[in-house]
Amino acid sequence: MSFEPKLLGFLCNWCSYAGADLAGVSRIQYPPNMRVIRVMCSGRVDPKFLIQALELGIDGVYVMGCHIGDCHYLEGNYEALRKFDMTKKLLSFVGLDNRIRLDWVSASEGVRFGEVVSKFVEDIRALGPSPLSRDNPDQELLKKVKAINMAAGTKRLRALVGRQRKITEEENVYGEKVPEEEFNELLDTALKEEYDRQRILLALARDSKSVKDLAVELSLEPSLVLEHMLTLKGRSQVDFQEIIGNTPLFMRI
Amino acid sequence: MEKVGAVMVVGAGIGGSQASLDLADSGYKVYLIESTTSIGGVMAQLDKTFPTNDCAMCIVSPKLVETGRHQNIDLSINCKIQEVSGEAGNFTVKVLKKSLFINQDKCTGCGVCGKECPVEAIDIFNEGLAKYAATSVRYPQAVPLVYAINKDYCIGCGICAGVCKAKAVEYDLEDEEVDLNVGAIILSPGFDEYVPPKANLYGYGKYKNVVTSIEFERILSASGPYAGRVLRPSDGDVPEKVAFLQCIGSRDFSGSGNPYCSSVCCMYTAKEAVIAHEHMHQIKPTIFSMDVRAYGKDFDKYIIRAQEEYGVQYIRSRISSIQEVPETNDLRIRYETEDGKVKEEIFQMVVLAVGFNPPNDAKYLAEKFGIELNEYNFAKTDIFNPVQTSKPGIFACGAFSSPKDIPDTVTQASAAAGCVNQLLYDEKGTLITEKSLPPEIFVNGQPPRIGVFICHCGINIGGFVDVPEVTRYAKTLPNVVLSDRNLYTCSADTQTIIKNMVKEYHLNRVIVASCTPRTHEPLFQETIREAGLNRYLFQMANIRDQCSWVHMNEPEAATEKAKDLVRMAVNKARKIQPIDRIKLSVTPKALVVGGGISGMAAALNFASQEYETYLVEKQDKLGGFANNIYHTLEGGDVQAFITDLIKKIESHEFIHVYKEAEIENIDGYIGNFKTSIIYGKNKEKAEFEHGVVIVATGAKEYQPNEYLYGQNDLVILQSELEKILNTSDDIKKKKSIVMIQCVGSRNDEHPYCSKMCCAEAIKNALLAKEKNPDVEITVLFRDIRTYGFKEKYYRKAREAGVIFIQYDENDPPKINVEDSELRVEVKTARHDTINIKSDWLVLSAGIYAIREENEDLAKMLKVPLNDDNFFLEAHVKLRPVDFATEGVFVAGIAHCPKTIEDSIAQANAAVSRACTILSKEEIEAEGKTAQIDMSRCIGCGMCIENCAYNAIELIDDRRFGRVAYINQALCKGCGACSGNCRCAAIDILGFTGEQIFSMITGRVS
Amino acid sequence: MTVKNEQEAEKSEEWEPKIIAFLCNWCSYAGADLAGVSRIQYPPNIRIVRVPCSGRVNPYFIVKSLTDGWDGVVVSGCHPGDCHYLTGNLVARRRFAILKELLEFFGIEPGRVNFMWASAAEGERFAVLIRKATKIVKELGPNKKFEKKW
Repeated sequence: MSFEPKLLGFLCNWCSYAGADLAGVSRIQYPPNMRVIRVMCSGRVDPKFLIQALELGIDGVYVMGCHIGDCHYLEGNYEALRKFDMTKKLLSFVGLDNRIRLDWVSASEGVRFGEVVSKFVEDIRALGPSPLSRDNPDQELLKKVKAINMAAGTKRLRALVGRQRKITEEENVYGEKVPEEEFNELLDTALKEEYDRQRILLALARDSKSVKDLAVELSLEPSLVLEHMLTLKGRSQVDFQEIIGNTPLFMRI
Repeated sequence: MEKVGAVMVVGAGIGGSQASLDLADSGYKVYLIESTTSIGGVMAQLDKTFPTNDCAMCIVSPKLVETGRHQNIDLSINCKIQEVSGEAGNFTVKVLKKSLFINQDKCTGCGVCGKECPVEAIDIFNEGLAKYAATSVRYPQAVPLVYAINKDYCIGCGICAGVCKAKAVEYDLEDEEVDLNVGAIILSPGFDEYVPPKANLYGYGKYKNVVTSIEFERILSASGPYAGRVLRPSDGDVPEKVAFLQCIGSRDFSGSGNPYCSSVCCMYTAKEAVIAHEHMHQIKPTIFSMDVRAYGKDFDKYIIRAQEEYGVQYIRSRISSIQEVPETNDLRIRYETEDGKVKEEIFQMVVLAVGFNPPNDAKYLAEKFGIELNEYNFAKTDIFNPVQTSKPGIFACGAFSSPKDIPDTVTQASAAAGCVNQLLYDEKGTLITEKSLPPEIFVNGQPPRIGVFICHCGINIGGFVDVPEVTRYAKTLPNVVLSDRNLYTCSADTQTIIKNMVKEYHLNRVIVASCTPRTHEPLFQETIREAGLNRYLFQMANIRDQCSWVHMNEPEAATEKAKDLVRMAVNKARKIQPIDRIKLSVTPKALVVGGGISGMAAALNFASQEYETYLVEKQDKLGGFANNIYHTLEGGDVQAFITDLIKKIESHEFIHVYKEAEIENIDGYIGNFKTSIIYGKNKEKAEFEHGVVIVATGAKEYQPNEYLYGQNDLVILQSELEKILNTSDDIKKKKSIVMIQCVGSRNDEHPYCSKMCCAEAIKNALLAKEKNPDVEITVLFRDIRTYGFKEKYYRKAREAGVIFIQYDENDPPKINVEDSELRVEVKTARHDTINIKSDWLVLSAGIYAIREENEDLAKMLKVPLNDDNFFLEAHVKLRPVDFATEGVFVAGIAHCPKTIEDSIAQANAAVSRACTILSKEEIEAEGKTAQIDMSRCIGCGMCIENCAYNAIELIDDRRFGRVAYINQALCKGCGACSGNCRCAAIDILGFTGEQIFSMITGRVS
Repeated sequence: MTVKNEQEAEKSEEWEPKIIAFLCNWCSYAGADLAGVSRIQYPPNIRIVRVPCSGRVNPYFIVKSLTDGWDGVVVSGCHPGDCHYLTGNLVARRRFAILKELLEFFGIEPGRVNFMWASAAEGERFAVLIRKATKIVKELGPNKKFEKKW
């Protein structure tokens, strides 16, 4: 039996969901792999929704919204784009970025809806089952995706993504525009840092560990782990526990 | 041109703060200009200070808070000097106040903005070891505690403006330019540390476990990134073997570093090694050094203790290479031992003792202020007055003029203030404003009516403590007539509310439950005083720093605790009474004991400010030991200088000189001393009153009994050689001279360094070579301590062919006399024995103080001596010229061996400190002092032993007999006497037993 | 009652000691402030009384605290040598060395009264010491030695 991907779709109420309906009214046939969740706007789709879905073993997640400029809520889909990009970047740390997709489908594009869904099913089928699929999830990977999920919830990343459009496209509080490349560089650093920090926190969930242990476990530079540890300590998330021999152990608070 | 009674101080490190405080206390308006966003400079970054291992933050922060709050000090942060015009007495300085983007008046320093800022940027204060946000305060105890946005990192997302409940974030705040009119300027911009270049021999920047000493200081600091644990940056392990490399970027003639000696590295390295071992006992420090320059007061003892008690190992070597061991990130150091063998050793961490560079903007400042820099780009100063720059009216202090440690910086800061005094004394008090306050409401005997103001502090308290609940609860407490809550109790509008409430509810006690009294008590005290209440009718409950912030996860328990703290404060408030600070009159005259250079400099400074001065000298002529000195190492003509000085002193209308004088008795206390002396050939008697005393008694040259001194005419002292060189041509007949250093210094009898002998020997050697280039000069030394810019002359001497040979202290040189010829036998570090024929053997005799001589004076003034019989100052670091006994100051060699320039600086510093007293008609004593109940006192005298300020004495009372008496002028209110009083006769105002007991019983709700 | 509720009930009934802490104004009180500024968390059992110097702490304050029902007492001053009043903490140290023995002689458990040093820079150390002291007092149980029996 061939592999049948399990897919999830977040469709905006005003365009894509209506487009899907139109596909139905027009009796356009497409593969039955995708389950649809209706949202009022693609801007509602939290990065955590996508990550959580993957974490649970879903093979692929589709986000659809109105075409740029057509948003019922004026600019919701712009926000969706920013959030989706960030999610994709985060997932690229573990190679799952090709299992999510964003597309614009209008209420009149019933045919196109059928086409893009068919294409997504095909592409995911070609990729094969998610390494996190129910029966036998890759535990190592699962941990990393959990870290990504937590990172996507941090104030820092949410603040950056939330203000991204304002400060790169319009103007920041000083009336200046931050160049897109500059912002992306900053965002990329932040994404990597928060991801690594959440991995450290997860690794400390059960027992306390030293910087060196963590470095081996997470294949990170020990000096980098130490740096993150200090930041986490500043955020009151970890603390020194005890010093064994010459090696201090850290614990999660 | 009209003189202006205001002074500008540029740079608010410890030096700038000290100068500002001195001047502000003497009645000048001070503009303190700082380029960064907080004051405290490098000292606030340090963990501990040598040689006492004092906690730097503990001793510096009260001083910084005082600077930040002083009503005569106008502090501006984040500033840049734009233009300077005018001349001594009247300058105009254009200052650019760069925007912080956060309104200083509104920011409460709560720190929410920093926590929420999404842009993490490296912070400066922790030397890149920890990350902080673009909105940040430089360190938790910063003064002023306001946040600033670092525009370099800020992306302008606007989140901070959203989270700031005080609405202090103002992105449109603009830079501001102001013109300040001042009479004098003090420059104290400090230094910048030497940063090893990228491709350096030591692998700094390449190997993670190679750090600079200032980074290591942050690693050591309890408030640093590792919270006082010594960890290495590569993997967070505790390093077992730590190597400290000295003279990084100092004494470096190769061109990549600085040729001068940075003066302080030997000591701070020893300190860092000691503290590292103290923090983590497994750490074994090794110090690689050339000479150990422990030339200051009690420094040598510290080095010895480091070696003996803390196992610090010293290796005399400059290392040849350093390499990382790839697997472990350990470091392999290769070096040559003293006896010439090459060794390799593995260390877990390496600390580079980096030297001082002139401040990065030295050239800019010099150009703007029109002052000259020296060859090393430090401020050029007068040869005899180390705080006078090349331009009159502009003074420099601290590391801006040469590398120096904290006490020297503080001394110079006061000295600069002293010189400003000389210039502007008649403008004193013209520009300061005194607040007019309403008369105090009489509350004695009235039942307490308490008003409680509880602060939300944005969400800092309100987010974790149920403030409405605490407010309701406070209302139920006895005598509380008003309980109110505010978003920010410290904001300006709340002060108005408090004042109105005091009137409306007839409050006679006010409680604020908010942050810490350490920073905010004076503000609220001021408010209630403006409302007509005595300052001391105020209490504070610390429900933020010590409650909401430390129990963020237990809101219920935190609320309970806040209630308890408020109740305890209410209980205490019911018992508090108004306190009147007593006022003492001041006799505006000074006594200077000792007529050497320090004493004369001090007397002249006093007199030129028109203070009547009594100068008392033991000898029959003024000048002291300087009479035997012809030149300084740097070429200053000492004879001309003192001749001129003596002339000025003896002809000055405000100075009374008493020669061949002996002090019979000194009585009294700060502001009100009375002294009687016997003077002159005819033993005449004199008596006078004065407000302050300066001790400048100096010390003696050691008269050796080693090396055949006094037995063989060819053995002479450096001072005798100096006289010969300067008054005769005898040197031209000599072929060979041997000098022996550390005679009578750094031994069991005199365990300290006499500081001047190295410079003295080099000075004489250079002069001898100049007069007779053929003479062979050999200097036998233990360490050559030509600190600071004196290093140049050491090199000059070596270039001139002077031979320097190190000898072992345990195997000192031997002198053999053969056919009336002197032969000096010395063992070198490589264990060879050298035999030198010598025409003269010159001994560098140290300086020593005689206990019998100093003890009498010390007893009369109630001031202490140290183990070496020098006078002991109030605080080694921050009060270098003060005594614990107020109104008494020390200057010159009486304090410890020092150079002429340093003595003069100290004299001026002592004058400046004294002027903070003399400039006032009356001084206010501390209000919270000890009080004695004579009816209970049995006169046991226990309290006298416990009082560090000599404020207590036994008197014979007419009614109670022999009882203790506390001099309110001297008491500081620490309470050590009270805690030990066996009959509970002593109580401390403001912290009375009754008040504290009421807080204890406050637990029973 | 569900298991969770039972646990919560048990937890709320768990005895929490009340500890009074006399902190010197210049070092330990400042250290406690720093713990706050650095948001270092420690148990909420202590109530702080500010005194100018550890030398101000009269032995009777400590005895009175115990007789008044506080479960534990902490006295903290500057490190030896750091005293703002030069030697106040040394006076205190001598005093408390004797008091400690006396209290033990009277049957007060050694851990109930704690003397310690914490500097203005040692926010973390302060928190650690308070955690430790709270733990010890908690293990000792309520201070019932002075409860009136009639």
